[in-house]
Amino acid sequence: MTKTSRSFRLLDMFYIVMMIVPLAIGMAIQVLTKPATEGITLTGARIFFTIPMPLMDFPVTESQINSLLVTVTIFFFCLYMVHGIHERVHLKRQHFAELIVEKVDGLVHENMGEYFMGYSPFIIAMLALSALSSLSSLIGLYPPTSDINVVGGWAILVFILITYYKLKCGPLYYLKSFTEPVALLAPINFLSEFATPISMSFRHYGNILSGTVISTLLAVALSGLSNLVLGWLPGFLGEISWLRVGIPAVLSIYFDVFSGCLQAFIFAMLTMMNVSGAFPKEDYEERKRKKLLKKDAKKQIA
Amino acid sequence: MQTLPIISINLWEMLYALLNLLILYLLVKKFLYQPVKKMLSQRQATIDNEYKEAEEAKQKALSDKQTYEEKLSGAEAEADSLIQSAVQNAGQRELEILAEAKEKADGIRRQAEADAALELKKAEQTIREEIVNVGTLLAGKMLEREMNAEDHKKLIDALIDEIGDEYEGH
Repeated sequence: MTKTSRSFRLLDMFYIVMMIVPLAIGMAIQVLTKPATEGITLTGARIFFTIPMPLMDFPVTESQINSLLVTVTIFFFCLYMVHGIHERVHLKRQHFAELIVEKVDGLVHENMGEYFMGYSPFIIAMLALSALSSLSSLIGLYPPTSDINVVGGWAILVFILITYYKLKCGPLYYLKSFTEPVALLAPINFLSEFATPISMSFRHYGNILSGTVISTLLAVALSGLSNLVLGWLPGFLGEISWLRVGIPAVLSIYFDVFSGCLQAFIFAMLTMMNVSGAFPKEDYEERKRKKLLKKDAKKQIA
Repeated sequence: MQTLPIISINLWEMLYALLNLLILYLLVKKFLYQPVKKMLSQRQATIDNEYKEAEEAKQKALSDKQTYEEKLSGAEAEADSLIQSAVQNAGQRELEILAEAKEKADGIRRQAEADAALELKKAEQTIREEIVNVGTLLAGKMLEREMNAEDHKKLIDALIDEIGDEYEGH
């Protein structure tokens, strides 16, 4: 398969189109369903419809739809990146694909160690989903990461992973770890166990949401200032808030782009740290060795 | 349209997000990570293979070079020995030719001497025959007549003349 073959280019085009289509759909939904509101309001995600579920209803909101769209985009991006890669490089995208994989591999190896190398794709997925979700606010979508439920779900997954690795040495070992360094600290240790996912999710969600809040506040302030300063202009010219042109974009570079990417990186970093830190490697190996010895002893007796 | 409050906890939404991340993890693993890793390991294998082949080729070239050098030095020695033996042969041949030539010359000389001796012998034989003839003739003459000293002398002179004539006549 060469770069110039027709079917290859057609498939490339298809992937690129499929990368853009979900985002376009999101924008279309936004345009079609967003009611024209008077003034500037600060609300959560809009509910499209509600699925009745046990325990509590499941409202399908913008965050769900948008995170699904972002997932589809990332999926087709992956397909596009690995399309036509070959051990002898002849595509530019291959360098990028290799760069992604090797950088994340290096990051995981550095922070988690050799044992956790299987986490590379998970970290890639997490970084991509988090960063793209935050960046989707750039095209006017509701960023799913500014919904506590989305980030909370990820944090629960991380919590499950942490507990899984803590339980690797057996439930007794897990319970005993709460009494370290003194038994008196057990309640605090127990609380800190749950503090990890909560702090992780609130950090991420709070940063993205605060960006939105500050942007909204700024918009309100700028429109007020504009009315005050430039309200004397005749006709409709006086009604346009001129100061809202351009100035929010500069702040958006920090609050949407930089903060979004940074929070994605921090979330991934914390995941790596917490998961690898939860695994008592030496004790686990010791335990494994003892088990093997026991087995051998049993065999010898038998 | 209804909206959620800014902070709201909903378990199903959390579960949805969790599953979303898990599914994306599986997709990324299957469609980005594994293909790239596979390609990288293939490339590594290819590179290793090529290095190995290059190393082998180098080793072969070196061993070939050694063989050729050995062969070359062998050839030089051979050439030297060839030249030497040729020179030796030539010297021997020279001696042989000289000896042969000498022998031939000796042979020729000997032949000539032998011929000369034969000729001499022949001549002697002839002379002897002549002398016998002369003696016979002389005896015949002496038997023919009594002669004095003067006659004797005349006779001998005539005889010698006769002999000389006969020689000249030969």
